[in-house]
Amino acid sequence: MAFGMIHFVPILIVATMFALFAFSGLRSRSSQNSGYEFNRSYTGRIGIGAGIASNWMSAASFLGLAGVFYLKGYFAMAYVVGWTGGYVLLLVLMATQIRRFGKFTTPDFIGFRYESDTARNLAALISIIISVIYCVAQFRGIALLVSWLFGIDYIPAVVVGTVLFVSHVTVSGAVGVVRNQKLQYFVLIITFILPLMLLTRKLGYFWILPQFGYGAAIGELQRQFDFNWSEPFGSTTLFEWLALCFTLMFGTAGLPHVLSRFYMVPGKRDARWGVVWGLFFIALIYWSAPAYGVLARLFEARNGLSLNMTGTDAADMIVLSAAGLGGLPLWAVGLLAAGGMSAAFSASAGLLMTGSASFSYDIYPRLIRPDASEQDKVFAAKGFFLALAAIVMALTFQPLGMIAEIAAFAFAIAGNTIFPAFLLGIWWPRANAVGVISGMLTGLAISFAPLLIGDKLPIISQIFPFTSSAFIGAPLVVIVMVCASLLTAPPSPAIRLFISREVHDCPEN
Amino acid sequence: MNKTHEDTDPSFFKPRGATMRAEVRVITLILSGWLIAIVGFQLLAYILEVSYSELLLEDLTFFNLPIQFWLSGQLLPLWFIILCVLFNIWMDRHSEQSGEGSLRFRINAVRGEEE
Repeated sequence: MAFGMIHFVPILIVATMFALFAFSGLRSRSSQNSGYEFNRSYTGRIGIGAGIASNWMSAASFLGLAGVFYLKGYFAMAYVVGWTGGYVLLLVLMATQIRRFGKFTTPDFIGFRYESDTARNLAALISIIISVIYCVAQFRGIALLVSWLFGIDYIPAVVVGTVLFVSHVTVSGAVGVVRNQKLQYFVLIITFILPLMLLTRKLGYFWILPQFGYGAAIGELQRQFDFNWSEPFGSTTLFEWLALCFTLMFGTAGLPHVLSRFYMVPGKRDARWGVVWGLFFIALIYWSAPAYGVLARLFEARNGLSLNMTGTDAADMIVLSAAGLGGLPLWAVGLLAAGGMSAAFSASAGLLMTGSASFSYDIYPRLIRPDASEQDKVFAAKGFFLALAAIVMALTFQPLGMIAEIAAFAFAIAGNTIFPAFLLGIWWPRANAVGVISGMLTGLAISFAPLLIGDKLPIISQIFPFTSSAFIGAPLVVIVMVCASLLTAPPSPAIRLFISREVHDCPEN
Repeated sequence: MNKTHEDTDPSFFKPRGATMRAEVRVITLILSGWLIAIVGFQLLAYILEVSYSELLLEDLTFFNLPIQFWLSGQLLPLWFIILCVLFNIWMDRHSEQSGEGSLRFRINAVRGEEE
């Protein structure tokens, strides 16, 4: 794959795709009144499912996962299992119950359930931290794509990518583009799977279902190039695998922007069946992503390139490299670039808007300016959006790791803080404000401990790896919440009655 | 509301009423199926690896995929979808039976709060 030169055809394809989304968004604007960030026109369960999947799809799924496969082989399956299995937790423990609280954001939910403004502000702050870190993963993806498209270095590409992103959000907001999530999902899945079918067909494998067809490539790597994929726990331990997998699952059921899909679905049946469709649509990507990592290894082996390449930048771009090395036409590589760019842009827009809304409606009027008018809040939201974009850009210059690893860190924070708060909030009426505040603070400490003191105390990084701290962390936080709640006064009878009657349909006595 | 109500608070481990008890039972079943499959497949792959090394794992393939790739990468996501479908079918039937009851209690609860 050639770096350092401008790729005109892929740039054209990326621009065309964004134009298509904008055109479709403008057309649907006339028929509804919703804002840019949220398309409320749910049409049936498949529509809800496509919305869930499109909301979920980010640079981590589109680019990052294949990169981890390329570098770490079977270890990356923990991402596949973690990012799909979390929906089971979400469905059975939270999806229908969240709706009954009648709240629309994570801080609202926590503030109402635990009857505490401090808990609410802390939840708002944590939502913002999660949004920023998750966005760093997206911006890294955007920067790598911009770097390839325009043939510039990584650091200038971060700046160009940020400028493109902010302009995109500003223009879309100004002209009132509504995000058509169904269209976006179906375009994304085609841009991901079509090049993969072309690749496997070219190799003479079973191309109709490339999700299975790539098995032949693993066999060829083993037989001809002595490259061994068969030791699942050769370089990583079983603990590391399970810790990552469960962290991602707990995080899925605790990420504010994932939970936000369930506050306002029209009916509980639709909410439940929407999750099934959403999970199916998400699984379509994850059944396919390993193939890109494996095929890239095969092409490199065939071309006599070194198999021990450990460059993380190259690994994060492996989806495009696989298509390039496999001899696909430039338009097919451009499709992948456009899909990755669109996934990263929409994920970042959603996250930063949620983050700035948390600031302007939860923190700003409560802590900074109690007399703020509605106009002040809108102004604060815009200013904070730009500030967040600048913070994310600064963090992207020196990212913590690969795209999927940074995303996993955001999942770990969510799994250590919001997940236990929701879990006990719904299923244990005795949990109180002191419990949730001490729990969320413990969760934050556990999430950041491996980064802050992991060097001095290696045991911390072993028990709580920074991408996988919620495996041990979330149960610990639950214990802290239970102890702190039992040691202090129970929550008010009104909220306990609400949980008993409204949330769980319990009889009066 | 007096203090004794604390003892009758419903929770996951102390569900109250037929509706919640049945729901918690099905949730426990689904989550057991979820946990056993995830941990079980990894233990299987781990035991195969340490007991037989590459010899067996290289030959054990399904649709050309090494068995552990197939179990974790293909079957587990499918199994999660199946679990969700089973849960939904059960919930749909269940809420049809208890739909009226839950509506009645909700109205009562609102009245109770107003009083």
